[in-house]
Amino acid sequence: MRYAEFTWFDLVLLAQGLGVTLGLFLATSLIGLLVGSAWAVIRFYRVPVLTQVVTFLAELLKNSPVLVQLFLIFFGVPAFFRINLTPVDAALITLSGNTAAFVYVIAVSAIESIGRDQVEAARVFGLSRWQVLRHVIAPQALAFSIGPLTGLLVNQLQVTSLISVIGVLDLAKIGNILNLRTLKPFIVWTAVGLLYYLAAKAIAYLGARAERRLRAHSAWKGL
Amino acid sequence: MLKAESVRKVFGTTTVLDGVDLTIQPGEVVSILGSSGSGKSTLIRCINGLEKLDGGRVTVDDFDVSKPRELAEARKRSGTVFQLFNLYPHMTAVQNIALAPIEVLKRPRAEAEAEARNLLASVGLADRAEAYPAQLSGGQRQRVGICRALAMKPRYLLLDEVTSALDPEMTAEVLSILAKLAAEGTTMLFVTHEIEFARTISTRIVFLDKGKLLVDLPTDQFFAPAGGLAQPRIAQFLTKMRKD
Repeated sequence: MRYAEFTWFDLVLLAQGLGVTLGLFLATSLIGLLVGSAWAVIRFYRVPVLTQVVTFLAELLKNSPVLVQLFLIFFGVPAFFRINLTPVDAALITLSGNTAAFVYVIAVSAIESIGRDQVEAARVFGLSRWQVLRHVIAPQALAFSIGPLTGLLVNQLQVTSLISVIGVLDLAKIGNILNLRTLKPFIVWTAVGLLYYLAAKAIAYLGARAERRLRAHSAWKGL
Repeated sequence: MLKAESVRKVFGTTTVLDGVDLTIQPGEVVSILGSSGSGKSTLIRCINGLEKLDGGRVTVDDFDVSKPRELAEARKRSGTVFQLFNLYPHMTAVQNIALAPIEVLKRPRAEAEAEARNLLASVGLADRAEAYPAQLSGGQRQRVGICRALAMKPRYLLLDEVTSALDPEMTAEVLSILAKLAAEGTTMLFVTHEIEFARTISTRIVFLDKGKLLVDLPTDQFFAPAGGLAQPRIAQFLTKMRKD
């Protein structure tokens, strides 16, 4: 057997890469969802100063390439602040921030889509602003945004492949290593692409299921 | 006692309420009549604290609506039914009604929901308890709206053109419930265009015109030739409304 042949161990490598990709995806999505929603709430309450900061930050993150943000965090921040960042740290920070910025945009439009009249009704019956947010706004905003959020997350899964350039051993990086060793790009990248595809389909499936449940109250059967 | 004293409200350059005085004692049913834009709905919104006053004072059982600390108490004492229902679309009829009792009055969920079902049964909607607003007709939605206000056991019920968005048949459904409430002694402030109905259930009628309170008379006097009808503006309004 030549060194360049595929071995059974390569499947373990691919599985490991997929694990790193999914792990980072889940962690950054969770952080991004929490941070992005918190930013939207800050804007909803029109918190002075913080609202401006959040809007500016989201604009910055939305309108620059993730790759540039990644390089800035991985190479720029350690050099400037004299701290150490592992590739995984840098990937976590960059991807979470990027997801947060887009979650923020979706959450803001979802909150704005909710009729003011219901909010007034809830206030008149004595609910506090927090109770209105929790019981009237949040559930409807979530139902409204689950579609766009699913789309965003599917996209963010693909975006994780960028972190391979700073040396994180994710699925794309493993693909690169296998490709260089076997020199069989068609087979390697087909396998890698298929794994991304299946993961994306799983996210879309879960999103669609959640959407059906959250939108039970407005079950629209179509024309 | 619900009291508005020289209430003023300005939107931009328009004065919508111009020194309105109104007192409602427990047990009274007071109807507010007046043409569109006369300030009727704004008066309700000033009483339940949805609009900031530009002058004057509103108190509900001596709790001042303009003071943030007292607003919550004032709001516990008055319940509002809205023209366009304003139900929460993601909640069933029962959940719509039980939300405020659970969250504001801290009632146990099971108890609040059981009471919501009783209220729904009392307005003939026992079988629609688990329906979402989108699955209900306009009249049914407004009946849920009334139950939602009643669930808070308010001392004063504020009704803001509650039948304006309904067809005559649905209007009748809703009015019969209001008549029942009035007969039970519920205190109501009733903004409406249903003049004949106002005449049958009200103890007093108030007429608003261009933000000013033109008359405030017991019902029989309001409709008497020497009372409200003596005012040309009111005579004109009533003739116009009856023709339509």
